[in-house]
Amino acid sequence: MIEALLQTLLNGAASGGVYALVALGYTLVFSVLGVINFALGALFSLGGYLTYLLMGGRISANGGLPGWGLPQGLSFTPALLLAALLTGLVSLVVERLAFAPLRRRRAEPLLYLITSLGAGLVLVNLLQMLMGAEGYAFPATALAGLPDALQVAGARIRSVQVLLLAVCAAAVIVLTLWLERSRSGRALKAVAEDATTARLLGIDSGAMLRLAFLLSGALAGLGGGLIGVSISLPGPYMGISYGLKGLAVLVLGGLGSVPGAIAGGLLMGLAEALVPGDASGWRDALAFAILFLVLLLRPSGLLGRRQVEKV
Amino acid sequence: MDPALLVQMLIGALLGISVYLPLATGQLTLATPAFYAVGGTLAALLSTRWPVLGARIDGSFPLPSFLLELALGGALAGLLALLVGRIVLRLQGIYLAIATIALVEIVRVAILNLPFTGGAVGIFGIPQPFPSAAGYLLPALALLLLAGWVCQRLEVMALGRAMAAVREDELAARCMGIDTTQVKLTAFVMSAVLAGGTGVLAAHFLNTWNARQGSFDSAVIMLAFVILGGSRSWLGPVLGGLVLTALPELLRPVGDARLVLFGLVILSGPALFPQGLVTPGLLERLGRLGDPAGRPGAEGSRP
Repeated sequence: MIEALLQTLLNGAASGGVYALVALGYTLVFSVLGVINFALGALFSLGGYLTYLLMGGRISANGGLPGWGLPQGLSFTPALLLAALLTGLVSLVVERLAFAPLRRRRAEPLLYLITSLGAGLVLVNLLQMLMGAEGYAFPATALAGLPDALQVAGARIRSVQVLLLAVCAAAVIVLTLWLERSRSGRALKAVAEDATTARLLGIDSGAMLRLAFLLSGALAGLGGGLIGVSISLPGPYMGISYGLKGLAVLVLGGLGSVPGAIAGGLLMGLAEALVPGDASGWRDALAFAILFLVLLLRPSGLLGRRQVEKV
Repeated sequence: MDPALLVQMLIGALLGISVYLPLATGQLTLATPAFYAVGGTLAALLSTRWPVLGARIDGSFPLPSFLLELALGGALAGLLALLVGRIVLRLQGIYLAIATIALVEIVRVAILNLPFTGGAVGIFGIPQPFPSAAGYLLPALALLLLAGWVCQRLEVMALGRAMAAVREDELAARCMGIDTTQVKLTAFVMSAVLAGGTGVLAAHFLNTWNARQGSFDSAVIMLAFVILGGSRSWLGPVLGGLVLTALPELLRPVGDARLVLFGLVILSGPALFPQGLVTPGLLERLGRLGDPAGRPGAEGSRP
């Protein structure tokens, strides 16, 4: 009983950690640019596939490349980190193609929605073309060295979930420390607060924007790799549902709020984990039902700042 | 041209108008796929489970029953919009967009999990009111003409002018005594009725119906109809819907790359045509063509 509850809570916290990563990915770009990067879900998928490939996973691409894979695979940790970095670089390309042209002509925010979604569509379908529509499972030896289950307070729990939670927590802590303590992190916050003033203070806002996209993509890629190794890669569209739930978490926590994204992610993950097994089909709607309620009660999110309309 | 593709294109144009209507009041809602799914599911359920409507064993379906379904589908979607709209239309900007995405997902998961909607497979063998795909051209075209006529009428009606005022500056419109909530809600409900009716048509046309019909992806594609077509007139979403629905089919010879190319069009469209294909300038020229005598003062009276 205790064991089951502990496992349930841990599962919830682990997936909540991944939701928080995605929500933080949105937050970084939103706080600097004031728009939402809808390509993030596709970057999440990309991170999963890159981790799989870098670990030497074999692909078949609908039979087009049967059994193709890297000759030498990396172990999980370097593969995950490298995949996150590469996803961050692709996120920079997304910025260049989907955001930069509109920013130059000061287009209305609505257009970013379309272009970033277009970029996501291109990414997902490129993955589908190159990797195929079929799902891939990481080899059982992907986490060699990690015991299958851990003994905590007399209960046995799956260690993959502990790993997930630990990596998410580490990423969140590093990101927060960097934002609060480092020169570049504070510069990013300054641009988010007021881009014009930051520019007058000599901060290169363009560079900060690119940094935000790089980090945002890396967080999504990290999430994709973690979900891939703990569950599987069901197909190129896997990231879309995480992207949507991250969006729900983002609003739940308040747009642009870092602690809000973390708290919202954990809350959402735990709430989902507590859905009883025989109603599991409805689990995917829970995040959005909660979101709906929150928007009703607090239109600017749980930890968001209230905005007053001015003339 | 293949009549089935033409019907699909007309359905695209109808959904484009449905996304356009709330946008004409400045509200970005992505709820159209939810209402489309509600209409389609209702039609699929009624025509396959309710013998009173007169579905025959050979798969044909009486036309009056189809028209009744159109009305019911529109009404149900409109009712849902009335309930949901009161809640979500208090939200602004991106919050409203995300709340409507949430609605789409809730409806999708509900259709997937309700005990009577057929789960992931959905409902199939939906009876046919018309003997072939070409038969659907007439009702699809009729719906489109009706929707276009309503939109055209709106331009000279008080409601349409109020919609434009809310779009330009909601606060100013409120100060001038326009009930902005009511205007936004009316546009939202009209959009839902149209989407619900289109869902009924599509369910019969496609012959099967499942939860995938109204997804987040489709919401984005429908929004692209409006943005790439042009959001300043109802002709924009019609053109966008027709072209963008046909595009993946026309790209079929490219094979697997067609959806990548389609994505590239959506990615680059807003930068290439920031005002859409049907721009205000184009509309003005069209207006002059349709009115060669040129009523004096007509130009100046335009806001």
